[in-house]
Amino acid sequence: MSAATAFFSRTWVRWAVVGVIAVVLIVLPLIFDAPTNSTLARIGVFAVAVLGLNVVMGYTGQVSLGQIFFLGLGAYVTAYGVNEGWNIVLVFILAILLPAVVGLLVALAAARLGGLAIAMVTIALPIVGVPLAKRLSEFTGGSQGTSARFSSAPEWTGLYDDQWQLYVVIAIPAAVFVLTRNLVRGKFGRAFAIVKENEAVASSMGISPYRYKVLAFTIASAIGGVAGFLYMVVIQYTSPETLAFHHSITLLASMVIGGAASILGSLIGGAYYVLVPQLTNIIDPNLTAVLQGAILLLVLFILPGGIVSLPRLWRRSRGGRGLGSPVAAGAQTTGIATIEGTRASHAGDYASPVGSAPAVPPVTGPESGPTDKSPSPESPEKRQDT
Amino acid sequence: MGTFIQLVIDGLSTGSIYAALALAIVLVNQATGLINFAQGGMAVLSAYVAYQFLQWGLPLILAIIASVIVSFFLGAVIERFLMRRFERGDPDTAIVVTVGLLTLITGVCAWIWSYNNLLFPSLFPLDSIPILGASVSVRSIGTTLVILAIMVLLQVLFVGTKLGLALRAVAINPQSASYSGLPVGRLLMVGWGLAAILGAVAGALVAPSLTLTPGMMDGALVYALAAVILGGLSSPVGVVVAAWMIGVLENLAAVYVPFIGHDLKIAVPFVLIFVVLIVRPQGLFGRKVVVRV
Repeated sequence: MSAATAFFSRTWVRWAVVGVIAVVLIVLPLIFDAPTNSTLARIGVFAVAVLGLNVVMGYTGQVSLGQIFFLGLGAYVTAYGVNEGWNIVLVFILAILLPAVVGLLVALAAARLGGLAIAMVTIALPIVGVPLAKRLSEFTGGSQGTSARFSSAPEWTGLYDDQWQLYVVIAIPAAVFVLTRNLVRGKFGRAFAIVKENEAVASSMGISPYRYKVLAFTIASAIGGVAGFLYMVVIQYTSPETLAFHHSITLLASMVIGGAASILGSLIGGAYYVLVPQLTNIIDPNLTAVLQGAILLLVLFILPGGIVSLPRLWRRSRGGRGLGSPVAAGAQTTGIATIEGTRASHAGDYASPVGSAPAVPPVTGPESGPTDKSPSPESPEKRQDT
Repeated sequence: MGTFIQLVIDGLSTGSIYAALALAIVLVNQATGLINFAQGGMAVLSAYVAYQFLQWGLPLILAIIASVIVSFFLGAVIERFLMRRFERGDPDTAIVVTVGLLTLITGVCAWIWSYNNLLFPSLFPLDSIPILGASVSVRSIGTTLVILAIMVLLQVLFVGTKLGLALRAVAINPQSASYSGLPVGRLLMVGWGLAAILGAVAGALVAPSLTLTPGMMDGALVYALAAVILGGLSSPVGVVVAAWMIGVLENLAAVYVPFIGHDLKIAVPFVLIFVVLIVRPQGLFGRKVVVRV
């Protein structure tokens, strides 16, 4: 605990920081020009989407390749509701509820097969979703897409549209982020963490991995729906392209690059999602996909905890090796650690020939404490016949 | 009746493509315990390599064989220098790595060969022959037969050769395998290489009908994953049967169920999956996973 950490952990300092951030967030939209505001608003939208993915993937350890589908569904529900002239609050609630219900149904089936199956099933969501959106043209406007203008600034505020939209995209995500933070720090978060860590241990503690996976997936879908609503607030137009597969991949890359199992990482992920494609497009549009893939792989290789783990890494390199093992750094995910530990026996313990053995990540998010270097956490299934 | 037979045989042919990709996924999964989401992307890259050889003036069959050889080494290199680092770790991280690999490969294909659809010549003539009153395209039959032959070859390799025995040993228990002197690392590279070969063949066979684009195999990958879930990860035979079933069923559904049509037929395997997962979570042919704690 350095002095700075101690200082920041005092209650009044924390509230002061929150207050300063709030004031900055309230003032900034008035200062920036319209393009900056709309970029910031889009970052807010996708930060929420990444946060949703983080709930199911970062915190609960279930790879989901379909998060963009729920964003698209939320956007379509919003567009439809607005165009039908429904009350906006009702539309908002529906834009959360409908994706949540769909997510629940998907998870009920997918979670039955262990971690990898969720990835294999959810990859279908965007790929089935696009033709489905084209087909249901009376709701979705078909390939043309549909637009809904409902986010103009009300008269009484005297704000420009982009300022108003940014305020909406600050207020709702702020609420979602606070709620999610409380969720993952509380009882449910601990349950998610133990499901991610070791399903067998979870069940022995009376925590049903199945139930919590379904719960996490449902919450992630609901948050995806919120992101969809916000998407319509900012972009006011959606088409089948919104939920295309490559967006889902980018969303996943954003989450990993920002930092899995981290609230701040979700925000960084949202910024990555919006800003980096813009940057790579400036460099060379043809290289966008190459750079995206290369950045993702590079981060996985050298910074498995994502950008958010940079300060911790820096502190560790300055302040000695801490507990002496790279595994000790909480956010380090497995990659490097396991290789270093047991290079000699590449052998591994994929003991069961059946691949869908449950995902047992050895070390999880920042919350998990130091672990020793022994490979035992990642090999729950020692064969007896060795 | 004629249409029906035609649909079934066409379904078997597309099903064979899915089966090849699904087998590649199972092969990698058996050896390393991870799901390679880049398998389809690697197949596309192989098809582009074959296309490039064609451009350089090689005859089609030689171009495909050359691309198969290149793919083998490519698969081995990817295993050695990218995946090995993540194989023993968290399977979820490994999945993300393969997804990154998919993005990278798609990007490389698009960068070198552009996103435009490229025409890839067919290995088989475009004629049809009458079978039981239905006219069935030679291409469908040829595709099915080639994939069948590859599967038989693979089976012979795995059951009848020393290399196959070693590969199976590594798949069942890498630790014991390395204790008995098997070069586990090199065998894993061979496993990935073989999987890449399967993908390369599938890619070369499907490219003529889909035309070459960087995202050509995305759909096929989804079908293959569906087949893997349905058949059960532990059962190669089950996976192939499931892939054929999917190919045939989606074709029939596209024509006989008006709501589904050709655009929504990709939903068919997933409706199937939902039913199967609820009734039989380990897949149609898979064994139940028993985890030792």
